[in-house]
Order: sequence, then structure tokens, then C-alpha cells
Amino acid sequence: MHFGGLYEDEIVGKAYDRKLMGRFIRYLAPYRLLVAVTLLLLPPMAAAKLAQPWLLKLAIDNHIVAGRMTGLPLLALYYLLLIVAESLFTYVEVYLLQYLGQKVMFDLRLELFSHVQRLPAAFFDRTPTGSLVTRLTSDVEVLGEMFAAGIITVVGDVLVLVGIVGIMLWMNLKLSLVTFSVLPILVWIAFTFRRRMREAFRQVRARLANLNSFLAESIGGMAVLQLFGREERERREFTRLNAAYRDANLPVITWDASLYALVEALSSVAAGLIIWYGGGEILRGTLTFGALVAFIQYIEKFFSPIRDLSAKYSVMQGAMAALERIFHLRDTEPSPPPLSRGERGEQEYPLPPGEGGAERRVRVEAGIRPGEGERPAVETIEFRDVWFAYSEEEYVLKGLDLTIRRGEKIALVGETGGGKTTVTRLLSRLYDVRRGSILINGRDIREMPLHDLRRRIGVVLQDPYLFTGTVGENISLGDAGAGERVAQAAAVVGADRFIARLPQGFDEEVRERGVNLSAGERQLISFARAVAFDPEILVLDEATASVDSASERLIQKGLRGLMTGRTSLVVAHRLSTIQDADRIVVIHRGEKVEEGSHQALLAARGLYYRLYQLQFKD
Amino acid sequence: MGGGWLLATNALALLIPWLMKLAVEGLQFPTRALHHPGWYAGAIALAALAQGVVRIFSRTTLLHAARRIEFRIREDLYARLLSLDLPWFDRKRTGDILSRFANDLTNVRMLLGFGVLNIINTVVVYIAALALMVRISPFLTLCAVVPFPLMVVAVKRLSASMFRRSRRAQEELARLSSQVEENVSAMAVVKAYCREEAQISAFRETNSRYLDCNMAMAALRGAMLPVMAGAGAVGTLIVLFLGGERVIAGVLTLGDFVAFNGYLAMLVWPTIIMGWILNLMQRGAASMARLNEVLDAEPAVREPDEPAAGAAIRGAIEFRHISFSYGNGLVLENLSLSIPAGARIGIVGPIGSGKSTLVRLIPRLYPVPDGSILIDGTDINRLALKELRGAVGFVPQESFLFSRTLGENISFGKAEANPAELHTVTRLASLAGEVTRFPHGYDTLVGERGVTLSGGQKQRAAIARALLKDPAILILDDPLSAVDARTEEEILAGLATYYGSRTVLIVSHRLSAVRACDLIVILDGGRIAEQGSHVELLARDGLYAAMWREQQLREEIERY
Repeated sequence: MHFGGLYEDEIVGKAYDRKLMGRFIRYLAPYRLLVAVTLLLLPPMAAAKLAQPWLLKLAIDNHIVAGRMTGLPLLALYYLLLIVAESLFTYVEVYLLQYLGQKVMFDLRLELFSHVQRLPAAFFDRTPTGSLVTRLTSDVEVLGEMFAAGIITVVGDVLVLVGIVGIMLWMNLKLSLVTFSVLPILVWIAFTFRRRMREAFRQVRARLANLNSFLAESIGGMAVLQLFGREERERREFTRLNAAYRDANLPVITWDASLYALVEALSSVAAGLIIWYGGGEILRGTLTFGALVAFIQYIEKFFSPIRDLSAKYSVMQGAMAALERIFHLRDTEPSPPPLSRGERGEQEYPLPPGEGGAERRVRVEAGIRPGEGERPAVETIEFRDVWFAYSEEEYVLKGLDLTIRRGEKIALVGETGGGKTTVTRLLSRLYDVRRGSILINGRDIREMPLHDLRRRIGVVLQDPYLFTGTVGENISLGDAGAGERVAQAAAVVGADRFIARLPQGFDEEVRERGVNLSAGERQLISFARAVAFDPEILVLDEATASVDSASERLIQKGLRGLMTGRTSLVVAHRLSTIQDADRIVVIHRGEKVEEGSHQALLAARGLYYRLYQLQFKD
Repeated sequence: MGGGWLLATNALALLIPWLMKLAVEGLQFPTRALHHPGWYAGAIALAALAQGVVRIFSRTTLLHAARRIEFRIREDLYARLLSLDLPWFDRKRTGDILSRFANDLTNVRMLLGFGVLNIINTVVVYIAALALMVRISPFLTLCAVVPFPLMVVAVKRLSASMFRRSRRAQEELARLSSQVEENVSAMAVVKAYCREEAQISAFRETNSRYLDCNMAMAALRGAMLPVMAGAGAVGTLIVLFLGGERVIAGVLTLGDFVAFNGYLAMLVWPTIIMGWILNLMQRGAASMARLNEVLDAEPAVREPDEPAAGAAIRGAIEFRHISFSYGNGLVLENLSLSIPAGARIGIVGPIGSGKSTLVRLIPRLYPVPDGSILIDGTDINRLALKELRGAVGFVPQESFLFSRTLGENISFGKAEANPAELHTVTRLASLAGEVTRFPHGYDTLVGERGVTLSGGQKQRAAIARALLKDPAILILDDPLSAVDARTEEEILAGLATYYGSRTVLIVSHRLSAVRACDLIVILDGGRIAEQGSHVELLARDGLYAAMWREQQLREEIERY
């Protein structure tokens, strides 16, 4: 799976891909009616457009040439009505098309966003944020362009073309055939250009991508570049890429200009043919002047949609590339796949019979949210021979065994990179164990509904991530139940005092991820958040960052409030936390090496003793 | 040049309706006909083909010229970037610079290409077509062009308010994308608190606001086409009515009528485009201003006006009462330090004590006040940048490698290096063994498109790159943070044979890396807290000694 970087530079040459389009069309299904209306509007629109030259013919033949003034004002009125009708139809059509396009884009963005919420944590480790943002914004935008200048407009153009051909054939078969003798040349030109354009556009995009990545790298590596006196050489290389991009563009311009000029010229040649053959017919009396003028106007209208063919082609090509990237994201497996028993080869322990699944279904059907109502309290949490690796075979945890009983406070200590944080992540199933299992009340957590599990666990991360919004919203995270407990939760962790001092209290806006709050205050908000959700189990990754002593006191007080009455698993970085812990577990290189109370471990003078000297003393 | 072609195109374009007029008049009054209709048809076809050829030339010449100008501006922009200093880059976001290269440059090019093309076109067509129309009938001309000024105003106003609404939509899109970004970066919180649904509904809200903004724009865009086409059609209507009347009255010939219609049709498009061009000009001007901001930017780190006459740099460095700040708060405070040529200096201290800043100032990555840093007794502000930086081999904390081959990366500062030299420095940097295991040796592509190097490999490549320059001053800014202490010691031991008479500054968070240095400087809060040799400092039992004990303990744990 390649996201970002290389993948983004791959160029899709096709302007129409049946598979992608077929899949995309399904997004139109909810708007069947709207699609039908836009399609139904096309014939009257074309008719209004095509009737205008016909009126001109009538005016010339019946009035101007015949020298009859009566009736001409009426014709002029009809003509005016047609103009109004065409304008109106065009307006409605364009508006509806945009509406349709925007609706589909809205749905697509929402669907992608919802899909992203379901992706596993591991996906976010390997996918740059920027590329996800691009999928949801720029790529979807490109599809909007396709609506504005694409598919349905093309249908309208085709309809007009067919209509013109029909009318001309009906008006005068021979003259039409003579006029259309230029068509094979037009078709040949269109096909030749399509082929050349495709290749030329591919070149342009590839070279632009090169130029841009070179530029981005130059900006990123500017210090190195200047330190090594590379300015002159880099400038030469840039010139080469810049010139290559320019030179790729020149043929596109030439082709585009040629297409435009040739189509234009052909349209005049066709008019010439009408004069030549039609002139003869007029002299013989088999054609009227009006018909001749109408023919000339029709042929002009015939050629106009063909002129911007290359622009439309480019839009479609871009849209196909965007669709491919969007569907690629859409097809990424959501997490976590439901546990199907017997499939996991490494499943060493038999799972207890899962009557819970059925029970949950009943509850959901009865409209009871999982995590509400009578649920058995968490008596034990058990890690059984847990193995885990973020990447293939680089195990961060190697056979961890750990049992936590109700109400216990467990402190995990050890070196950075030893696997402490991983333990907490596995418990809330941000990642799944590779081997072994984690059991709550003897039941594998992979068997529990994810929401039910996570509702029982309150997680406080090292980085107290704050969202755009108010302080209160950052505590409740928009949850109704938590919303009722915001003030109470803030009081429990001692955040109420500083919040009361804020000009707007709980309604104070959090600016740019909390720059207007101190590190300690941000921590307290994240503690309050955990309390507001009232979890049975508390999982806490203490921040390592040193804070001033005032914040330190705040945090210690907050922590006590937070842990009261809860089973807690804490990745400890502060002295007070390990001293308060019921049990300390020392994790070293993915294994549990020591376990016991603070005093007992100190007395043993093992690894904990040394860690204590280094991390916690003074 | 392109303008000349354009004139020819338009002259030929105007010829065609005139030929039609003559042809139709010939048909209306066959007795007075100068030529057979076939003659006119042939003439029209010839004029059309000639016009086609000329049009290809006019469009290509002008649009190619615009691309060439774009190329030149892009060259100038890049050349300017290369001359700007780090403070400038620190203030700008990469995305902002890139968008100037992409969007703003495109706006300017559009103005130069399509803008100029259409301006010339419009002027020429207007003058010529109006003149010919007046020749046919001044009164009819006056009546027919009445809707045109209205159309220009309408298109201009429409596209101006469309521009405004599109800016609002852009802002909404920016909000939407920062919401996605926030959501993705906070995914751990979102998942831990089961906030997926709440996030989705918040997104839905922003998403619908964006939809509304876009629909407000669609309302205008829908009006654009009818306004454009409508005004032309109204002109035709006027001609049909008043012109028809005149033909019937015998004032005009049918040929005049047809030609007049043809000219009128020719005016429609240039008129429409005029309204558009007016906005394009505004946007182009705004973009050009943004480009000028870059083109006119002046670096604070500048070449000296009169560079000091250059003897080869030996490498004695002196800091004299230097204070430095990146903008808020002093990072270095009145620091003085004298380093003799050929000395090995270790610089240690807590995070944020100013270690990296101190060494970054030596090659003038950031501006320093005159007389605050001297090399061999000469103020570095008076040394030519090329000479100063040429004498400094710098291994930055974050080893930045370019997406090129490993060989190109190592010989970054000395492109003409031969394979033997390349191999020597790679061996010194303890990277030689790994190079032989890469698929293409030194020709292995590094980065996203090629082999992804580990942090340690990158750092050693960056060391080799600095060594190859053969600098008088070698600066290692925490160069081996990605490897463990023991490997670091081994690599540094390998490097020691290279030092020779060079002045070497090693910044490290590990004391073991600087233990062997002649002088170890301990920085704390931008000042020198202690200095001396390892033995002296231990004996002093101060900050260094405390750090040393802590380090010992850490190693013990690591070995546990």
C-alpha cells in the first residue's frame, strides 16, 4: 500500500476508465430524480438553441426577401422568447448540475471521513496526514470540476450536435451531405489530437511533479544546500527541470492552438461549401436564402463545442486520477476485523464461550447503548503471553504476563522504548496483539464490542491533545452524558480553579491546540476529560515533559482525583505516582523483569533501584 | 511578433463575412454578380485555411512567450530562494512558498498569455469589425452594440462577486481541511473516547457549510452563461428586426444583412472575455505582488561589501560576548569562548541550553552582530560566504539527505570527488560496509523512490558528506543520536584518525562522545556553566560530574 510520495506522482493517462466511472455512477443513485431532470432539460435547451437559426430562415424567406413587413415583429417576438427560454433553461441546468455535483461531493467527503474513522491505528502510523487531507479536499474538488465541465455537459453537446445534423438533413439532404463532407477530417483530427494530447499531458504532469518535488526538497534542505556551497549547481539543475517543464508545455500549446485553428478553419470551409453548393441551388431556385443563412449559422453552432475539446479532456483525465486515489483510500480495510475463531493460528488459549455477543445484540436491538445498564464490573484484567510488533518481527513486547485486579493501581516503569506505552495501547485495542491474548473478566477483549471495551477504559495520553472549541467541549468531547459531568469532573481533578479564572470560564475558546493554556492546565483538561467519561479502568501515559513546580502540584492533585476508585494502569514518570502505586511493574526490552511494591523493589537493588535513581529521585 | 500574427489572423477573419456578403449579393442579384458562387466559396475556404495557419502561429507565439516568461520568473524566484537565509525560511511555511511558485505564477502566466492574447484580439476585432459594420449601416451598428457595454459590466460584476464568493468557499474549504487534519492527528483521542460519531457529525456540519458556499457560487456561475449568450442574441434580434426592415425597404442588400450578422457574432466573444480579463488583471496584479515579495526579499546574512583578503582558514574560533535570539528570549547570553586552531571541543548541556545555536552561528546560518565571532582573528561577517562555508564541515542534528544517489549525496560539497576519495570518507564514517550491501552501491537511490536508510545510516552519510569537503573546521551537531552509545563511541574513534590539524566541535547529549575532547564546555541557559577537560570537570564535582554519574547509571540500565 503506497500512500503519499511515490504514489501521488503516478500519472493516470486515461480520460475515461469504465470501471472507475461505473463505481462513481453509483454515487448518483440517491439523486436519480435530479439526474433525470437535468437530462430531461437537455432536449428543450437544445431545441431553444436550434430554433433560433430556423426563425432567422423564416424571417429572411417569408419577410425580408419577400418584402413583407407584416409578421416580422411577431417573429422577432418569438425570437426574443426563444432567447429567454434558452437562458432560463441554461441557468436551471447549470444550477442543477452544480447542485448535483456538490451533493455528490458532500456525500463522498462524508463517506471518506467516516471511513477514515474506522481505519486501524497502524494505518495512521504509515500514512502522512497531508495525503489524507488531500484525498478529502483537493481530490474531491477535482471531481466537482468534472461535473461543472464534464459528463452531463458532454451529453448536452452531443444532443445539440445530433439535433443540428438532423435539422440540416431534413432541410436539405444534398446540401447537408456536401457540408458534412468535412466531418471525416474533423473526426480524424479529433482522434489524432486525443492521442497526442494524452501523451503530452502525461509529460507535462510528470515534469511538473519532478519540478515541484525538487523545489520542495530544496526548501527543506536549504541549510545543507547553503552550507555545502551547492547554490550554483542546484540552480543549474533547477533550470534543467524548469526548462524540461516549459518544453513539455510548448507542444501542448501548439497542439491546442492547432486544434482550435483547424476546427475554426474547417467551420469556415464548411460555410464555403454551403455558399458554393447552396449558391448553385439558389440560382436554380431549389434553395432559399433563408435556408442558406440558417445552414451557415447551424454549422457555426456545430463546431463551437468541439473547440474546447482539449480542455474537457484534461479535466476528465484529472478526474480519473483523483477517482482512483479516492477509491484506493475507500478500499483500505477498516479496523479491527472481527475475530473469527479458529482462524488465528497463533491463538494458543481457547476463548471462553462468548454468550456476550448475543446478549449485546439483544441490548442494541432494545435501544440500550452498549456500556449502559447492568454490566458486570471489571474484576480482572489479564495479559497472557502477549507479543506485539509494530513492524514485521521487531517485537516490542515479548511474552508479557500481567494480572491486574479490581481497584489496583499499577505503575509501569522502564526505559523509553521498552514497551510501556505499547501495553496501554493494546489494552484499548488501538492495536491488536500478535500472539497471546488480553482478557477482561476472563474474556478475550477482541470478542467484546469495541465501543463497549473503550467505554470502560479512560485513556489519558502523554500529549494532552486539545481540539478547536471551548474548554467545556474539550472535556465532554461533545458527548451528552459527559457533558452533564463537565463541572464535576473539573472539580475532581482540581481544574475548576484555573477554569474559573478564565474570562469565559468553561466557554473559553481553546486557541491553536491550547497555546493560551499552560502545559499543566492542558494536562488537567485531559484528566477532566477522562473523569467526565467515568471509566472503570484508567489508562494513563504520564507526560515526561518537565513542568514548573506550581503545575507539578496541580497535576499531582489532579492525578489523585483521577485515580480514586478506579483500576489504574499508569506509565509512570513522577515520583508521587510510583509511591502511590499498589504495585510497580518494571518493563525492560519488552519483558516484565521485576514486579512488586516500591519498598520491596528498592530493597532488591535490581533494575528498579537504578531506574529510580535515574528517573525519579530528586 | 505574436501581435503581428494576431493582426493577420483577425484581418483574415474579417475577410470571411465580407466574402459571404459579396457571395450573397451575387446570389440576390445574379445579373450584377462579379463571380460565380464557387469562386466565393473557394475564396472563403482559402481565407479560412490561411487564417487557420496564421492563427496557429499567433496563438503559439504568444502562449509560448508566456510560458517562457513564466520560466524566467520561476528561475528568478528560485535563484532568490537560494540567496535567502534561514531566518527567512523559518518565518515562511513551505506550503506558502510552494503555492507562490504554483498558483501565483499561474495567475501571472494566464494574464500574460490568454490575457494579452485576448486584449489584442478584442481591440483589433472591435476596431475593424465596427468600422466595417459602420460602412454597412451606422444606425444599425449603433443599435446592435447597445447591449454590449451592459454585457461587459454584467460579466465583470458577476465574475467579481464570483471571485468574492469563491474566496469565501476557499476559506470554508481551508476550515474543512484543518478539521480533517485535526481529526487525523488526534486519532488516538478520538478512538480512545469513541468519538468517531461525534467527529463525523461535526464534519458533516462543516461539510454542509462548504456545500452552501459552493451553491452560492453556483447560483452566479449559472447566470454567467445566459448573460454571455443572451446579450449576443439580443444583438442578433435587433439586427433581425431593424436590419430586416431595411432590407425590405431596399436600403440594405441581403448580403449586407448576412455580413452584418457575421460581424456582430464576431464581437460577442471578445466582449464577454473583456469582463473576464478585467478580473484576471486584478488577480494577476495581486499574484505579481506576492511574487515580488519573494523577489525583493533581502537576506540578513549577506556577503560582505569588501571581503577580507583571504589567507587559508586555519580554524581558530573566538566568540566575543555574543548574545543571540531567534525572536523571543535570548538563547545565548553574553557568551565568550576562545578555541585555538586544531583543538577538539565538546559541547554539552541540557535541552534548550543553546548548544546547537552556538555551532550554527559559525557558518553564519543565522545573522550575528559584527565582531562577535572571529575566525583566525577575522570577523566572520567580513569573510566571503563561500570561503567561510567552504572551510566548515557541518553535520546537522537532522541529517537531511536529498532524493538522489548515495554517491551524489556524499559528494554534495565536492561533486568532482573520485571514487577513491568517496570510499575513504565512507570508511571513516563507518558506512563502507553497508554501502557494499546496497543494491547498486554508491549509485543506490536514497529516499522515497529508493532505499529508505535507517536514522543511523543517514547520519553516517551526513558525516561522510562533511568529511569529503576536507574542512578546516568540522562541526558535529549531535551527529549520532540514532545509534546507541557504544556504536557512537566506535564511530567517533574511527573518525579521530581523520581529525589531524582540523578544529573539531562535537555537540552531544551523551558525555561519552565528548569525553576525549581537549576542552568540554557545559552550557546552561545560554551561558557557559563549566569548562575544562573530563578529568578536571569530574574533580570539580559540578554539573558535569552529576551528568556523568547519571549517564553511567543509564548505561548500566541499558546493559542490564
